[in-house]
Amino acid sequence: MTQLTSIPQAIIAPELSWVGLALLLPLLAAVACALCCALRVKGKAAAIITILALAASFGIIVKAYFAYTGPVQVPIFQWIDFEWGAGQFQSFNANCALYIDTLTLFWMLFVTGLGTLIAIYASEYMEGYCGSGYSRFFFGICIFLFSMSALVMGDNLIMLYLGWEGVGLASYLLIGFDYARPAAVAAGKKAFIMNRIGDLGLALGIFMLWANYGTLQYSELFAAMNKGGQTSVDWDLSVIPFLLMLGAFGKSAQIPLFTWLPDAMEGPTPVSALIHAATMVTAGVYLIARMYPFFELHPEALATVAWVGGLTALLAATIGMAQYDIKRVFAYSTISQLGYMFLGLGVGTSFGACYHTLTHAFFKALLFLTAGAIMHGFAGQLDLRKLSGLRHIPGWRIVSWTMLVGCLWLSAFPYTAAFFSKDAILLQALTSVRADFRFLGWLGLFTAALTAYYTFRVWFRVCAGPLHFEPGAEAHSESHDHHAPSTHAAHTTAPAAKSDHSFHPHAPRWAINGVLLILALGAVVVGVPAYNQAFAHKDNWAQQMIAGSSAMQGAGLAEDHGSQASVEHPKVLGMDAHTGLTIVGCTASIGGILIAWYFHLGSRKSADQLRAALLRRWWIRWVPICMENKWYVDEIYHFCFRLPMWLGSQILYFADRHFLDGVMVDGLAKIPIAVGKLFRPLYGGALQGYASTMAGGIALVVAWLSWIWLRGFN
Amino acid sequence: MNQELSSGFTIASSAPIAVALAISALLFVIGLVGFLCRRNMIIMFLCTELMFQGAALAMIAFARLRMDVSGQVFVIFILTVAAAEAALALGLVVLLYRKRETLSADAWSDLGES
Amino acid sequence: MLLIWTSILFPILAAFAVAIGPTKSAKWTAFAGTLVSLGALTLFAWNFPAWHNAEHFPNTTGPSWIPQAGITFSVGFDTVSLLLALLSAFLMPLCIAGSFSSITERTKEYYGWFLVLGSSIILAFAARDAILFYIGYEFTLVPMTLIIAIYGGTERRVAAIKMFLYTFLGSMFMLATLLYIGWEHRLAVGAWDFDIDTLTKTTIRLPSSTQYWIFAALMVGFAVKVPLFPLHTWLPLAHDQAPTAGSVILASAMLKLGTYGNYRFALPMAPAGGAELMSVVAVLAIIAIIYASLICWVQTDAKKLVAYSSVAHLGLCMLGLFALNPVGAEGAVFYMVNHGLSTGALFLCIGMFYERYHTKDTDVVGGLAKRMPIWASFMVLFTMASIGLPGLNGFIGEVLCLGGTFISEHDGQSGYPGVLGPWYAIVAGLGLIFAAMYLLILLGKLVWGPLREPHDDAAHASSAVRLSPDINFREIAILTPLAIACIWLGLQPKPMLDAIAPCAERMLANYPKEVERLMAQSAGTPLASLNNTTNESSSE
Repeated sequence: MTQLTSIPQAIIAPELSWVGLALLLPLLAAVACALCCALRVKGKAAAIITILALAASFGIIVKAYFAYTGPVQVPIFQWIDFEWGAGQFQSFNANCALYIDTLTLFWMLFVTGLGTLIAIYASEYMEGYCGSGYSRFFFGICIFLFSMSALVMGDNLIMLYLGWEGVGLASYLLIGFDYARPAAVAAGKKAFIMNRIGDLGLALGIFMLWANYGTLQYSELFAAMNKGGQTSVDWDLSVIPFLLMLGAFGKSAQIPLFTWLPDAMEGPTPVSALIHAATMVTAGVYLIARMYPFFELHPEALATVAWVGGLTALLAATIGMAQYDIKRVFAYSTISQLGYMFLGLGVGTSFGACYHTLTHAFFKALLFLTAGAIMHGFAGQLDLRKLSGLRHIPGWRIVSWTMLVGCLWLSAFPYTAAFFSKDAILLQALTSVRADFRFLGWLGLFTAALTAYYTFRVWFRVCAGPLHFEPGAEAHSESHDHHAPSTHAAHTTAPAAKSDHSFHPHAPRWAINGVLLILALGAVVVGVPAYNQAFAHKDNWAQQMIAGSSAMQGAGLAEDHGSQASVEHPKVLGMDAHTGLTIVGCTASIGGILIAWYFHLGSRKSADQLRAALLRRWWIRWVPICMENKWYVDEIYHFCFRLPMWLGSQILYFADRHFLDGVMVDGLAKIPIAVGKLFRPLYGGALQGYASTMAGGIALVVAWLSWIWLRGFN
Repeated sequence: MNQELSSGFTIASSAPIAVALAISALLFVIGLVGFLCRRNMIIMFLCTELMFQGAALAMIAFARLRMDVSGQVFVIFILTVAAAEAALALGLVVLLYRKRETLSADAWSDLGES
Repeated sequence: MLLIWTSILFPILAAFAVAIGPTKSAKWTAFAGTLVSLGALTLFAWNFPAWHNAEHFPNTTGPSWIPQAGITFSVGFDTVSLLLALLSAFLMPLCIAGSFSSITERTKEYYGWFLVLGSSIILAFAARDAILFYIGYEFTLVPMTLIIAIYGGTERRVAAIKMFLYTFLGSMFMLATLLYIGWEHRLAVGAWDFDIDTLTKTTIRLPSSTQYWIFAALMVGFAVKVPLFPLHTWLPLAHDQAPTAGSVILASAMLKLGTYGNYRFALPMAPAGGAELMSVVAVLAIIAIIYASLICWVQTDAKKLVAYSSVAHLGLCMLGLFALNPVGAEGAVFYMVNHGLSTGALFLCIGMFYERYHTKDTDVVGGLAKRMPIWASFMVLFTMASIGLPGLNGFIGEVLCLGGTFISEHDGQSGYPGVLGPWYAIVAGLGLIFAAMYLLILLGKLVWGPLREPHDDAAHASSAVRLSPDINFREIAILTPLAIACIWLGLQPKPMLDAIAPCAERMLANYPKEVERLMAQSAGTPLASLNNTTNESSSE
């Protein structure tokens, strides 16, 4: 392993405690929303409170960013804090304190920023629920923002765990927001439980760190790592990265714990955008970036991350290709993109991973919000076979074009921000000295082509082509009628649709359109650091942000590889690595888009023909079937884990009632009864019976006494 | 007084204690057998009195043997209690008779479960 | 002193007042009685001098009762017992208020016995005389049996008798052991004495083999009450059949007598036995966690589910206690209080919908968020507290218990060696997943989903008190203090942790030595040279 630069030590700065407001404000807003909920407020008070609080929180983070001079630790109050001796291992401290370095700010900037934007979007999107769940929705959003901020800004791993579980709760409550639908409830439950499995890994990893280093505070842990990371305790340190990894895989929906994320799309779309695309699911990336130095504790830990990321990217992409529900396609693309981030982390470019997180947050939020706008306008219709040519409807132009921006970014179209961020990851993989990383790089490139294909499959189907649509199932449902009055103006101004019946999609208004435009702009803007680097040869802002934090060891590693590259000129397809990758990446992206264009815009029939042709041939038919059925992962889990456990539980319950309680306890209780039955004839009820029993008893006692007496009392 | 008492018992003391104990045992066994064999409640009650007297006689005999009056005090006490008890028991017997119109003890076996 | 006796005896006075007073005012008399008890105890806690030091039973004594046998009426608290007594006293008025609408027949007896129950629980926590403790401990059974047998469900008699006999059998072991310890004390000193501190000083001087048996026998007694696998089978039945308030007190206060007994008697009195048997108890606790959690999973009766979850939760509590280091012990004590709050609240919530639908079967009734939104909010909150969501009270205890288990293997790094270690924590940690699973399934059926109500509304209409669809003001007022306590303890556990810490350390004072001795024994080191080699061998 190369010589690693040390992590800068944090200084304690109580004067910065105002940054804590970024935590406190969402919490206060949550309380206010809960009050709105309790008082059954009919208006949009909850949304306004939430937006104001989140905007203020964003402002605070921006201020903190400009006031930033170096890593600081900001104590706020003591939470769990006790010690029973003076030794290093004789305390358990997890206080409510903030750890602010560039990684924190990097994450917080887009978390609070996107949180605010999506809250604005949701204030319009959710208006159908005014008076019945509107406040509850924003309560969930506030709880989420609070937890996410605690996760990112916390100064110790228990704070991180608090946020970690808190976002899980918010996700559970918001996925199951429409609680009358069993599917939504089941999806929320599944998300929480699958996350819990990962959380166990995280918790054990945290305990392991504590047991080994005697502390849970980042600054002290990093200080220990600076000294080489070894402790006097002879425990197996190398399991720590694997345990932490499990937590990250759960939260960020990677193999083997990814199946909850597609189901989580049952939640309202702003939730999918905010929690299940932009922010919460990147917590796993954050965890690994934050604890990056500890992933050096086992030589194969990062390689495992890379493999899991690469394989998840591919698997999710293949499933995404065969889905018809727009949100599900985007959900699988989220899993796939998260896979890229883990691949980046694994091959050693924490910069690439974090930068991809940032770009992904913008374009994926954008994509989900456009999908949400469509769903909102077309009464819940999300089947891409039943929507077509939306860009021809006047009110839907912003949606269509911003969706195009999102799709271009997602498919890593050349010279978009996402192109650069994906490029950074793949470059690192392809120029690695390890052969398996180079293989993963090629796998990532192949996945990129798939990504471009399925992304544009959606856009060409939904926004391009001839105008045609069928409304969703909610057309005449109650929830639709709810927001009919408020959107009546938009409703009537929408042009008569060329549909077979009189359904009028209501176009989004300023809040949704405005947010979409801002996000599209944001998606462009986040490319600026990369443009600076690529064209103006200036410093890459994102790289600086990552390099100033604990994830810098990875950055150091990357630079190390980079210098190696400059010496040995690693080749990609016989060309200079950068040029080669640009060419290959462009080919993959544009090739995918062209294929999608042919099948889904040029001649849509041929897509069905291709599918039919594949299904006819026995040796290939398993591919589309498995892809459409998500590789049967849910079913496999059900039969391998859930079902045996459920049967086991039934058996245990049966045993508990009938063996432990029935045989053991009641059986024991039967012994006195049985003994009593032996003597029952002596007490038959007749007076003489009692008398003779008594006489016999006395006789026995007398006989016994006389025997003793005769024997002579020894 | 003390002399009178002691002189009054000199005759009895000539009989060995075994005789007195044998009589008391005999009384007790007669009572016991009677109690177990008869069904008439009044007879059974009389048999209990017989057992009582057997025990009392044994007590007097031992008191005499040990020249200790407390045994005799006990006997007097028992006799008074027995008298009170006899009154109570006869009353009960009459009551039971009124209930079932018979003096047989077999009429009263409700305590048995079978 | 006066305040303690007020809090113990005032409920009994109130019980007399209930008995002779008119039926109509019975519930208010009872409510006032418990409030006075709580007030007196709070006042005592307010002025409690020993929140932050290990002083045992400060400033409290009592008159002699049976001087020949050394039994006294002495009462007093350390922080742990004070916290548990406060918890019981805090739950009492809530339970009585919770019974206002559910108990409509034989109300005078009900409230009277309930008050007696409250005072005997506080007596058990307050006693500093072992026999006095036994009296309080045992006497809780009488009112509880009557409450279950008269006011319970359809199988109430079986449940009540089983509870009584089972726990009574357990406490016989305990009583016999306490008497034996008293006798040993008499052998050593020449006079009977049942003061707990004195007895503790006596027993720790006894040979290890004697301590082993003392510990085992005390453990049997307390394990029934905890209840520890496999001695738990009375609990689900009793909970299932008990009226709501009875379940609350049973889970929140009476079960704590078992864990408290371990804290007060078994562990400090027989350190040699505790050190030797810690892995056995820990294994049983872990089995309890996994076993009860899995059983919870297939329950359709909401109350039984929460009852089995109590078994699992208290298993974790016992695991923390038997990690034999300050983290685990502190977590365990914290967990006792938390379990009392969140499980008690869950039972109250279940009772509230039971009063409206007369069924606890989650297959029949469900989706109540639509009908009872306020109730649903509370239910979700308390479930999350029970799952151990960080920021709520359950988390603190859970993380400390598991953390304590985790470092129990440390060779003296924490100052407290143990024999449990990470594997125990990993297996017990599975309980966290299962807890989320079964409680979320409960929530999913009961709170979320489409509204399902029993079709025959006859039961509903025939109820004597017509209740509003959602919980009413009284019920909100019952749940709110519990909710506040759950949130407050989750966000600000530090004062309580600071208060528990000295007591936990005092309880464990003899353990490092004993465990090291045992480890050395099993490693084959001769005992004589132990003192010289311990440090060297641990640093190797």
